[in-house]
Order: sequence, then C-alpha cells, then structure tokens
Amino acid sequence: MEIIRLDKVSLWRRTQEEFSYDLKKTFLSVLEGKYRNPSKNLVLDRIDLSINSGEKVGIIGSNGSGKSTLLKIICGILQPTDGSVKVRGEIAPLIELGAGFDTEISVMDNILLYGVLIGFSRTEMKERIRSILEFAELEDYIFVPVKALSSGMVARLGFAIATDVQPDILILDEVLSVGDESFQNKSKKRIENFWNKNTTILVVSHNLNFIKDTCNQVLWLNKGKIQVIGNSEQVIQDYLQSVGKNNIIN
Amino acid sequence: MTLSIKKKLDRLQIQRYWELLQVLVGRNLKVRYRGSFLGVYWSLLNPLIMTGLYTAIFGASFASYYNNSILNYVLAAFTGLVVINFFSASTSQALSSIVNSGALLNKIRLPASIFPVSMIAANLFQLAVGAFPLLIIMTFLNSKSLVNVLALFFPFISLVLVSTGVGFVTSTLYVFFRDLPYFYELVVFVLSLSSPIFYPAEIVPRQVKPFLKLNPLSPIIESLRQIALSGKPPNLDLMVSALISAIIVLLLGLLCFKLWRHQFMDLL
Repeated sequence: MEIIRLDKVSLWRRTQEEFSYDLKKTFLSVLEGKYRNPSKNLVLDRIDLSINSGEKVGIIGSNGSGKSTLLKIICGILQPTDGSVKVRGEIAPLIELGAGFDTEISVMDNILLYGVLIGFSRTEMKERIRSILEFAELEDYIFVPVKALSSGMVARLGFAIATDVQPDILILDEVLSVGDESFQNKSKKRIENFWNKNTTILVVSHNLNFIKDTCNQVLWLNKGKIQVIGNSEQVIQDYLQSVGKNNIIN
Repeated sequence: MTLSIKKKLDRLQIQRYWELLQVLVGRNLKVRYRGSFLGVYWSLLNPLIMTGLYTAIFGASFASYYNNSILNYVLAAFTGLVVINFFSASTSQALSSIVNSGALLNKIRLPASIFPVSMIAANLFQLAVGAFPLLIIMTFLNSKSLVNVLALFFPFISLVLVSTGVGFVTSTLYVFFRDLPYFYELVVFVLSLSSPIFYPAEIVPRQVKPFLKLNPLSPIIESLRQIALSGKPPNLDLMVSALISAIIVLLLGLLCFKLWRHQFMDLL
C-alpha cells in the first residue's frame, strides 16, 4: 500500500540573510522607495516520490541538497509551494531529539508535554509514563527538572518518548547515536524491532555504510532534485563516484 | 460517508488543539510560579500597588468626580488597572510566543496559533483565580444583584477577545520585525494612558474625546465599571458595544494571522 506520495513538489524559500528584521529600516526603505521583495531560492525542485508501507528509504546527498527539507515536507512542517503531498498514517518525527522539552519543568511534566506536542493524547501519555521512564532508565528522576539532567539523559528521554509506540512512519535524521554504549545498544534494538515490522522508515544520514546495510532503497538528492532513486548499493556507488571518493567504501 | 470522516477529523483537530492548549498553559504557569510562595496571587500585587499609588496621588483631587468618595475612586482605578494589566501582559507575552517556539515549529507539525492563544489562556487563568473573585465580591456588595454578577462575564469576554486579536497581530508582526517590542511598549503606554483609569473621563477636553473612543479598551472598562460599581442593573448597550468592537478586533487579528501564516516558516 502506498503510504507517502509526493507529486511535483517544489518549494521556494526566502533567503534569510538578505531579509531585514528591522521595522524601522523596512519602514524607511519603503519611504525611500528602495524596498525590494525578498529574494527566494528553489530548495526542492519538482520532486516525485512514492513510498509503499514497510519500505526503508535512505536519503543521501551533500549538505544543503534539501534532505532535511524533504523530510519536513513529508512531516507537514513545511507546505510545498507547488505540488501535492499525501501521507497516510502516523508519523513519528525524530528530527533532533528533545526539541520540545522545557528544561524548567520536571521529567514527568515534560513527558506529557512532549508526548502531546508530537501528537499523543494526555491520557495516553499518562499511561505510558512508567514504560518510558523505565526505558530511559530515569525512574529516579521523575520529579527532577530537566535542566538537572545530563545531555545524554535528555537525549535518552526524547528517544524513549518518541519511540514508545510503534509509529506507521518513522523518520530518522542522524539520531541513532544516543546516550552511552549500553543505551545505544538498547535503542538500536528498538529501531531494529521497528525495522523488522511493517514500519516505513526514512533515514537521512551521512553514514553511507549504515544506509547500505539497512535500507532497501536510496534516494539521492542533488541541489533539490532527485538525481536518482533505486537500489541502495547501486545508488551509493554512483553517489560516491560523483563526489570522487570511490575507494573509501568497500 | 466522506462528510462523517471529515467531521471526525475536525473533532480530532479540535480535541488536539485543546490538549495542546492544556499542556502549554500548564507548562507556562508552572515555569512562571515554580517555587514562588504566593503563586498566581503575585499577579494581584501589581494592580493593588498601583491602585494604592494612584489613590495616594490623585485620590483627593479627583474624589469630587466620584461622588466625593475616595473609596469609589479606589474601585474605579482598580477595575481599570485589572483590564489594562491583563491586556498588556497577555499581548506582550503573545508577541514573542511564535518566534520563541520557532525551533519547535521547525521540528514538529503544530498549529502556530496555539502559541499566542496559550499565552492569553495562561493570563486568563491567572485572572480567574486572582482579580475576578475580588470583582465578583465587589459587584455583589455594590449591586446586591446576581444579574450584575453574571453580567460581569461580558466585559471580560470582550477583553479576552480583544487581547486574542491583538495577540495574533503582535505575534505575527514579531516574526517579521524583531524590533517590535520597543514600538509595542509605546503602543501599550498610549492605550493605557488614553483609557480613563486613574482619571475621570470628564476631565478630557471635548475636542480630544472622540479620539479616545478609538481605544478598544475604553468601552470594556466603561461597561465593567457600570456593572461592578454603579449599583444599577447592567447597561445592555455598553455590554454589546464592547462585545462588538472586541469581535471586530479579533477578526482583524485572525485575518492578519491567516494572511501571513504561510510566510512564517521561512523566517523562524
């Protein structure tokens, strides 16, 4: 079953450097007749994409090629300028763990806050507090404000909340190394568990070996366009050839 | 069939909005009052102190406009201050709410309007447990009528609508203009000085009065005083005119938010 479909998706974004955030300056430039409409960049260029449920897709490309932007479009964080996006099912956003935490309030309050932010209900989250704390190994910290936790603990907490329930679509943006050795093993197991089931997974990573081992399809983005999409090994091979370091892998 | 699915989706969205509002307001209040002994009652301190100050300075000279009663002056100043404080606190907090949540909006799909609305809601909670009970008692003692107590909700509904509308505008503009707080401080100052809080409206020169009518807070304060302090039955005209101007402000705010919402993400 097709679970994600993008049709001719293009995205223009304003370039922030040129933009004046200053009311006074903008007002004066309008008075002087020097006001220009802000310039825009084409970040994604007519992307067509169709992903079936259960597929594991790796997304590769150089910095600034639009990988994270594409994930944001799929998550619904950004609206495309043109084209249409259709997504069926629950998406677990995993773009940088712990972004939704408020460091002033307690671990328990943060579990509720973060859980509701990423789309669960409060009652659901209340039932899950125990299993989340257990997985994150933070049972003793339930009433401690998050600012008192170490950064590793915060990342563990974020991971535990976001992956407590198996989502239909899991999105990973360079987040697999969380916490210490033992937690890394644990989180890897959980992800592998998702991997084996029918979860659709999208991964953005610069770790090409990881992508080659785990994804059955790879999408190579180049300057906002799909260069090629297909068999992992082949695409990664081509990608490496194009950036001229063919002999690093293998 | 499709209609029922759509209805269900709408209901889910409303439910999600409500859940988000609950956690965000809870977070807000917890951060604000964590470890402070008086908790939300701190919010009463400001209007009480200001009322004392105004009374000490202007009370004696303006008492003649308030039936020669300093107490009436105190009550009038207090009601005015409650209104202007709510407005200024909630809209200034709404102003920075979207920009401050920029990182979050870039990571999780959320309705952006939840952030200004949650600021207004947090202030509303404060008002409901702080100044509002005082005003209920005051109204009941003055009018000895439950009708007035019930009517008291109307000026406050108008106040919340005005603040939400202005909160939408300020939070939207702040995305584009980061020096807005300086200008907005000035706007709040003008609004608070042009509403008859610590002076009787009668002393304003006739030529200037029409301009004060432009202030959306004046009808609210006027209606609130009429209900809470005059001891007469609530004046429907005042209540309705406050409500109508509030709805206009809210609609303008919503329009402004809707128009520019799609540009937010490029600037956050």
